[in-house]
Amino acid sequence: MKKILTLLVSVFCTLSVFGQTDSKLDYSRVNTVTQVGDTLIVKLQYFEGKDANDVATAPTLYQFDFQYNNKLLNKISATWQPSSTSAQKAINSWNGYKFAIHDTKEQTDFDGQYISWLAGDASYSSNADWSVERVTFQDTDELETGQEFVKYEFIIKDKFNTNYSDYSDILNANWANYKLSDGTQLGVTGQSTLANLGSIEGGDAGDVTITLESNVITNNIGDGTDYSYYIYAKGDNQVVLADGTFDASGQATITGLENDIEYDIYVTIDDSKEYLDNAVTVSDLALVFAEAIGAGSSPNGISTTFDYYLQSVLANVVGDPISSGGDINFDDSYEILAYLQGVTSPTTSYITKTGGVYNISGIKETFGDVVNDIATWSPTFKPTDSNKSFNVVHVLNGDVNFSHGFEPTSNNADIPTSAQSVSTNRVAMAVGAKYQDEQANLDLTSELKDGQVIFTIGSDVEEMIGAQFNIVYDRTRLVLDDVVFDTGNTMTNFSNHIEGDGKINIGSFDQNFEATVKTGTPYKLIFTPTVELQNTSGLITFKVNEGVKADGTSIKFIME
Amino acid sequence: MKKVLILLSLVLLMGCMKDDDILSPIDNVVEVPESLTIDDLQGIKVESTIVTDEVKMNIKLPYTGTYRVKIRDISKELISQEKLEANEGDNILKVYVSSLENDGYTLELTNDNHEVIGITSIVVNN
Repeated sequence: MKKILTLLVSVFCTLSVFGQTDSKLDYSRVNTVTQVGDTLIVKLQYFEGKDANDVATAPTLYQFDFQYNNKLLNKISATWQPSSTSAQKAINSWNGYKFAIHDTKEQTDFDGQYISWLAGDASYSSNADWSVERVTFQDTDELETGQEFVKYEFIIKDKFNTNYSDYSDILNANWANYKLSDGTQLGVTGQSTLANLGSIEGGDAGDVTITLESNVITNNIGDGTDYSYYIYAKGDNQVVLADGTFDASGQATITGLENDIEYDIYVTIDDSKEYLDNAVTVSDLALVFAEAIGAGSSPNGISTTFDYYLQSVLANVVGDPISSGGDINFDDSYEILAYLQGVTSPTTSYITKTGGVYNISGIKETFGDVVNDIATWSPTFKPTDSNKSFNVVHVLNGDVNFSHGFEPTSNNADIPTSAQSVSTNRVAMAVGAKYQDEQANLDLTSELKDGQVIFTIGSDVEEMIGAQFNIVYDRTRLVLDDVVFDTGNTMTNFSNHIEGDGKINIGSFDQNFEATVKTGTPYKLIFTPTVELQNTSGLITFKVNEGVKADGTSIKFIME
Repeated sequence: MKKVLILLSLVLLMGCMKDDDILSPIDNVVEVPESLTIDDLQGIKVESTIVTDEVKMNIKLPYTGTYRVKIRDISKELISQEKLEANEGDNILKVYVSSLENDGYTLELTNDNHEVIGITSIVVNN
């Protein structure tokens, strides 16, 4: 009989336990936050439990600890919500502590963790990333279920320079101590942590890397330090937010930008660089003449000889503003010819040279993309958590063959073959094959003869409808006396002598793409020395040696 | 008899002359500073690797003829070339660098058929 009674008591007790439910400490966010700097509001609530008789428990003491990540949240306020005037209330705060749970119990067994904390099985240890809040509320009457204890307000902090990559671990309860008026400890549970805030935008972007691409850097004509960058808020061009120069490789690391904010970047080249005088040459002239002759209309129209829509902008050296592109006609080609001849033009032209630069730059991925039949370039970039590296490219107006710029790589920048003119051989060329290095039987030499320094350009290259040589001489020892052309009767020869710089650009071009430069010695420069000379080594140097073949192919001569 | 005496006198006078006066042409006597001395039979040497404005160079040649002095940039691209007639042995000349940008260059001595005889390097620091 004793055994039966014991069994019945056990069953009764078991049934009684199964009938109980714990009280609850709930915490949840009141509002949605999306940006660093937003205010996050968190409410902490009481939900009643049931006793063994399925009767709602009625605690009069409510005490709990929670902790928040002070690297991601900045506490700005805590506001009591109960209206009771008889209640005793207290909030205590400690910075630099984190709760270590008693790991034999569930983290959400809040009353169990409380007992463990009292027993020393759970504890607080130093941790600079966390702060602890203790909320204590005591009243003569119990709270209604769902009653909010406190509303906390936090500012979302930037996770830059923290050890946290997201906002998933920001707030959780540690323990709870709910007691009835007779001192009975109540069971309390709840969720393990505040829900992840998800993607929070904004905040310091940290190091943003900009990589500049141009043939000036790729081909060692100059280096990245020749370029400067200027960063503005998107759509603004007045207030510079960041500026500087690229390093030699063409990279710049920019700080002070914010994530998820759009910026515009503009790149300029140092206009004092002497190599800029080599940006626009007879090769560009040939491309523009071919367009003026062969296309008969704009690249945006029926046909074109260009490979990229952007070339219609770069070739548009007179008339419409650069960004408008527009028809390429003989005004443009003759303007470039006049420039190569050293003729001062009465019109405003957009031909890049030393001391006069027309920069165009944009984000590489979309550079030169055609929109409404016009080439476009976008300066806009947006650092995000997952993308802090951007490629920017740069070209110069007048440099139609990209010798000193970046040749577009976006497929949307290509002019389709169907739109290319069939009136010139250029249609047969592959996109991007505008420049070819070619071993050439050219002989550029200086000699001392009869007291004069003679510079001769000997050529066995046939089928050249254009050629250009940019020559620099030692003006402290030489005076240019004469330029002798022997290129053929129908060639248009040009020489542009910049005496003050000791430079002379000479060349020839047949704008009908028919006559070719005579072989032999088509060009000869005669100098008189102003000092006694024994020889001429180093007195005359040449940087640009270009030819254009009858099929329009531009050649950079490589000499033995 | 008078003719025989004159002839004998000339022979006596020539006998008093040094051998060098007879065998060496005056053109080939070149005073080579120690800094430009080339021990090999041929080659090119400059007085100083770092150059401002101009520098002396010695081109030592196997025979008299037409030669080329080439200046190449860092990518070995030819940027200047002199063609000159020079004598067998040492030839003290100059390289003028005022019109060159500050950079490193190679100086290349070749014969007229572009066969390399010697190479050296300079750094222009104008």
